[in-house]
Amino acid sequence: MSTNLVLTIALPLLGAFLLPVLMRSSVAIALWSGPAILVYGCWTVAELWLSGFAQPLSIAIGGFAPPLGINLYVDSLALLFAFAVQLLGLVFWPFTLDQESARRQSLMLLLVAASTGLALSGDLFNLYVFYELAAVATFGLASASGSGAAYVATLRYLILSGIGSVLTLFGIALIYSQTGTLNLAHLAQLAPAQLNNSLGLTAFLAILIGIGVKAELFPVNTWVPEIYATASTRLSAFLAGLLSKLALLIILRLLLLIFHQPEAAQVILILGILGVISGELAAWRAKEMKRMLAFSSIGQLGMIFIAMALPDGKGMLAVLALALHHLIIKSGLFMLAEDWGGALERLRGSAKASPLGAVLFVLFSLSLVGMPPLPGFWAKFVLITELAAQVEPLYLLGLTVFLLATVVEASYLFRIAATLYSNPAPDTLSEEIPKSKGLSLATASLFGAGMIAVALLIAPVGDGLQAIAAQAQDVDLYITTVSPAVSGGSQ
Amino acid sequence: MGSLTGLLFAGGLGFMLLAVASGLDFGAPPMLIGSEIQAHAPQQTGAANIVTSVVLGYRAIDTLGELSILFASAVSAGLVLGRRHTTAGTQTKGGFILQSGGSLLFPLMMTIGFYIIFHGHLTPGGGFQGGVILAAAFFLPLLARPGARLHHKSLSLIEGFAGASFILIGLFAMLEGKAFLQPMLIQDTLGQLVSAGTLPLLYLAVGLKVGAELASLLSRLIQTEAPQ
Repeated sequence: MSTNLVLTIALPLLGAFLLPVLMRSSVAIALWSGPAILVYGCWTVAELWLSGFAQPLSIAIGGFAPPLGINLYVDSLALLFAFAVQLLGLVFWPFTLDQESARRQSLMLLLVAASTGLALSGDLFNLYVFYELAAVATFGLASASGSGAAYVATLRYLILSGIGSVLTLFGIALIYSQTGTLNLAHLAQLAPAQLNNSLGLTAFLAILIGIGVKAELFPVNTWVPEIYATASTRLSAFLAGLLSKLALLIILRLLLLIFHQPEAAQVILILGILGVISGELAAWRAKEMKRMLAFSSIGQLGMIFIAMALPDGKGMLAVLALALHHLIIKSGLFMLAEDWGGALERLRGSAKASPLGAVLFVLFSLSLVGMPPLPGFWAKFVLITELAAQVEPLYLLGLTVFLLATVVEASYLFRIAATLYSNPAPDTLSEEIPKSKGLSLATASLFGAGMIAVALLIAPVGDGLQAIAAQAQDVDLYITTVSPAVSGGSQ
Repeated sequence: MGSLTGLLFAGGLGFMLLAVASGLDFGAPPMLIGSEIQAHAPQQTGAANIVTSVVLGYRAIDTLGELSILFASAVSAGLVLGRRHTTAGTQTKGGFILQSGGSLLFPLMMTIGFYIIFHGHLTPGGGFQGGVILAAAFFLPLLARPGARLHHKSLSLIEGFAGASFILIGLFAMLEGKAFLQPMLIQDTLGQLVSAGTLPLLYLAVGLKVGAELASLLSRLIQTEAPQ
């Protein structure tokens, strides 16, 4: 049943509201209700996917046909991300049992509900509401570690997010003042006539900067290193791996459906290039693993923005491949970093203490850099061929920066790998060498297994991604799916 | 240097806003969705107040999202404040006038709060506005007698079940074969107190949740105030 998909948003919210009450009466039920909801969510999405899902569909909430009411737009891309949200919510579930666990788990459920909404919603303002919900839930989760540094980092994140939200709202208001509608499909019909002007471009820039806060876009990403270094590793992995991709997904949909101006793509390209340069250079200088991963994720997202800027949706496949690749690899790397915190020098000799962790790190690094049999190579290869086919100098600059960034990436990742495999300093005791172990190592192995599976099945995965990309690019399909009656679109 | 860039940024933003504002056609909004909703809202939702028909009908899931945002911020505040040490400080009570004034106003404010909630589908107002007034009614005794404690357990019970019932009403529509959060039980009594089907129930849930959330937030703030 496709309408059950609404439950992937409604049930986590229901669970979040009831968890604090449940925790008072029965701790056991409360502890298991969150994971149970997420398992059901995974199953709902997977069932829809497996039952021969081919054509996108639109689910009207409240029974009002769009554009009057709000609808969920479900295509393969949205479904893929909805599944990833529910699954990663489960993988990164805060299992800790203390007096704050009810609050923490409530916030995690709210974050999952909001992220699912971001993947599925087909209404501009509804997207904004879910974006806000995700932001507020992450404020709480990021400050939950309770250290002073975490509070400072969260405060900075809060202020930057606040500015971003105001800008996004301003952009949405501009769009509404020009068109009188908020439904994405309806906007896609009206955009060529009413938003193809400087006001439309202003609206897009405002939304780009606003949503870009979560997508780690160049000037508004200063919160990233502090938050990822101070918040719990599981939250950092969820934010870097998934939430940034959902923000990307929104920008991508807006670009495909509404804003076709070449200037919009140019701005994204320039900001993407600046993001790659600043992120990779900062990662190269980082002295701590989590910070290095944070900066490197800024650089990686910059590469995805470069891919997004390719004209006529040529970069669609590259965007998808790079985003999913980064999702798997960065989540795995962050899980490894959970036990490898502190200065990089402390990691000397860790390979002997935890051989599996070190092997996983090397594999993830190789894929991130783009070593041929691993999935990262194919993702980067697609982008390089598309960039090289362009004639405009700005794209060629992007290509140059992209290749140089790969060299820098290799330099700092292999520096860590060398540290891991070097002999420990003579005066350190063997207990002092940090070990990767337990749940975090198991989770990292899960992502490692996923990466190897993708590497083995690269041909079918590539075909699948191509089909998803083609479907997501089809604007007419989007419009006719949401409002079959209004096709033709004359206002 | 930092303040200079801040100034430049603010100036640039202000200039951009002015430039955008000069291009806008104020006073003539495009009534694309708006006129559709104005024409059909009373029949489709049964609510005489068109704002309510948008908030709880056409865009009900936005309202659910806003309710969740409020809940998320209350929970986050609880996480941050819960760590501070609770000190039963010797705060001075308010004077006689403040105390009796508070006791006198409490029932009146409760009445107004519930009136606004229950008439949300007829007149301006509704769950959010009424809920804030309910919370304000609880602020008064707290401010007049700083030592007094609110009953946290019952507040969180109200908060949890009010939020849950909003979703459960939406799921009830799904059980009946309709869409999630579809307005149900619409009677043919436009403008009466008992009309608009499930919408007043949704507003009651919103009002109770907002009221309980804000009241418990204030009492938490009072209890965790740093010692002098």
